[in-house]
Amino acid sequence: MATETQSQTAQSTDRSFADRIDAWLAEDMSPKRALAVYAVIGVYMTFLLLPVAYMVLATFTSADFLYSPRLVPALGDLTLQNYVSILSTGLFQQYFINSTIVATSTTLLTLVVGTLAAYSLSRFEYPGRNTLLFSFLGTQMLPRVLILIPFFLVMFSLSLIDSLLGIVIAHSVLGIPLGTWLLKGYFDDIPKSLDEAAKMDGCSHLDILWRIIIPMSLPGITVAGFYTFILSWNDFLFVSILSQTAATRTLPFGLQLFQSQNTVAWELLLTAATITMIPVVVLFAVFQRWVVEGLATGGMKGT
Amino acid sequence: MATSTDTGPTGGRYVAEFREFLEETWLGYALILPALILMGVIIIYPTLRGIQLAFFEASLLNPEQQTFVGLQNFAELLGDATFREALWHTVLLTSVAVSLQYLLGLGLALALKEKVPGAGLFRSLSMVTWVLPVIVMVIIFRFLTQSGFGPVNIILDSLGMQTAAWFGRPGVAFPLIVLMHVWRNTPFYAIALMAAMKSIPETQYEAARLDGAGPLQRFRYITLPQISYVSMIMIVLHVIFTFNNFDIIFLSTGGGPLGNTEVLATYIYKQAFQQYAMGYAASIGVVMLIIMMVFTIVYASLEARE
Repeated sequence: MATETQSQTAQSTDRSFADRIDAWLAEDMSPKRALAVYAVIGVYMTFLLLPVAYMVLATFTSADFLYSPRLVPALGDLTLQNYVSILSTGLFQQYFINSTIVATSTTLLTLVVGTLAAYSLSRFEYPGRNTLLFSFLGTQMLPRVLILIPFFLVMFSLSLIDSLLGIVIAHSVLGIPLGTWLLKGYFDDIPKSLDEAAKMDGCSHLDILWRIIIPMSLPGITVAGFYTFILSWNDFLFVSILSQTAATRTLPFGLQLFQSQNTVAWELLLTAATITMIPVVVLFAVFQRWVVEGLATGGMKGT
Repeated sequence: MATSTDTGPTGGRYVAEFREFLEETWLGYALILPALILMGVIIIYPTLRGIQLAFFEASLLNPEQQTFVGLQNFAELLGDATFREALWHTVLLTSVAVSLQYLLGLGLALALKEKVPGAGLFRSLSMVTWVLPVIVMVIIFRFLTQSGFGPVNIILDSLGMQTAAWFGRPGVAFPLIVLMHVWRNTPFYAIALMAAMKSIPETQYEAARLDGAGPLQRFRYITLPQISYVSMIMIVLHVIFTFNNFDIIFLSTGGGPLGNTEVLATYIYKQAFQQYAMGYAASIGVVMLIIMMVFTIVYASLEARE
């Protein structure tokens, strides 16, 4: 909207300026234009990536450098000591293992439950189907903090406080609505004639799901799985409610405790943070093609 | 399914069809049941209980004891200055962050859709901020702006300017929170808007060119209308996410300094888990829910009118 009015006023008040811009832009991919594109991308990428890059660089330097008024480390400042220290810390190992177990189990549970639900929503006609479809999406609107209190009480009465299973269930449920919606979009794209043909050959519904739908929508399943994994790996809120001891803490909660101590050991905190982001960044790098496409198109289709 | 298609001696075609219909329905429900049970226990029941709790006086320390107080919690909210502040911050943060993200994302999308070498790599790299755990983002920003030897302060100091622990500065903490939202979410807008732009057929631009439309006009009359649907979705989604978001603020400032960045989500958390005032916290949650519902209804009706 704002851009619309801006360009309108630009057109009406300063015709000649707009004309000059038009003339300049009109030359398709002139060197000037390519340069401008690179400048925009370059400035923005610096803004996005410099903070992350600086953190990663800092993890390879000694505390002496970090607490000195210098911006750029010298060769002598470089060390792997921070990684050695943090990786040999028992608590950090525990958090990392917990995070891995939780995020992996969450992804599997969400995919199984979400695939069944999406198949039901995509291929079956029954009363209440549309209501279900939209209530799945409606859950995204609910303030999670409103859920939090009764959620805590429910988990308490199910004896799921301070258990990894409780965290896995909570995270799965957060992932299921959007995961199901994404998968339904992919399933809908598979022609129903394939189902019919399989039915003729004597396939049951579950055969169709297993042999046709799932293999054909692997990119969609990857996107849903990736989305669930980062949701679980990154969650702080629900872990902070459910986790009471170090045995069930995951990385985001562990890092938060680390951070809130009065004297922050920045070199260790930054290293721990860097290690925390590695799995999601690696997963993203591996699946980025599907993820970027899936979220850009499938996510839109979903809503 | 194979069994139900043969019309046995027990019934005619209609019976068989009816049986198949029943079986389809039954299987359809059965497949979605696990999802429904999980969501019912973790989301739907807690939401209803949360709404109900808003009309009770209840402490988290003794959840069994609840006294019905009617609208008293809501009446108290009206006189609660912290609540009004938090509401204002939430609305301000949502509107400022979402507008900035959209405008910057639009600009970045226009650049990324150009067919320059390397644009694909940039597209992927730009999403990194979006997959980072919030706590990692917070640690990065806190490190950069810490007092003493934070890089931002080193630079400011070398320029002879004031240095401080910027997250602890009233007046600076809030813009920093906005900056973190923009940093995190802009790439997502850029990718979605770019995808929408790329799906516009090139022939439309060709036709416009033949009619003598310049680039600005083509943007105004072809690109903007065709990305308006995706734009609306992105904006609505992020209004909801930002309005309800808890962890960015809780982890970076905890609502401080001096309540300068307190939002509804952090205020609820504090009321429930630090003051143990469950009923009161729930009533704030209900206010958030109502605001989001009104927003969603307005959006849906706008959408329906188009």
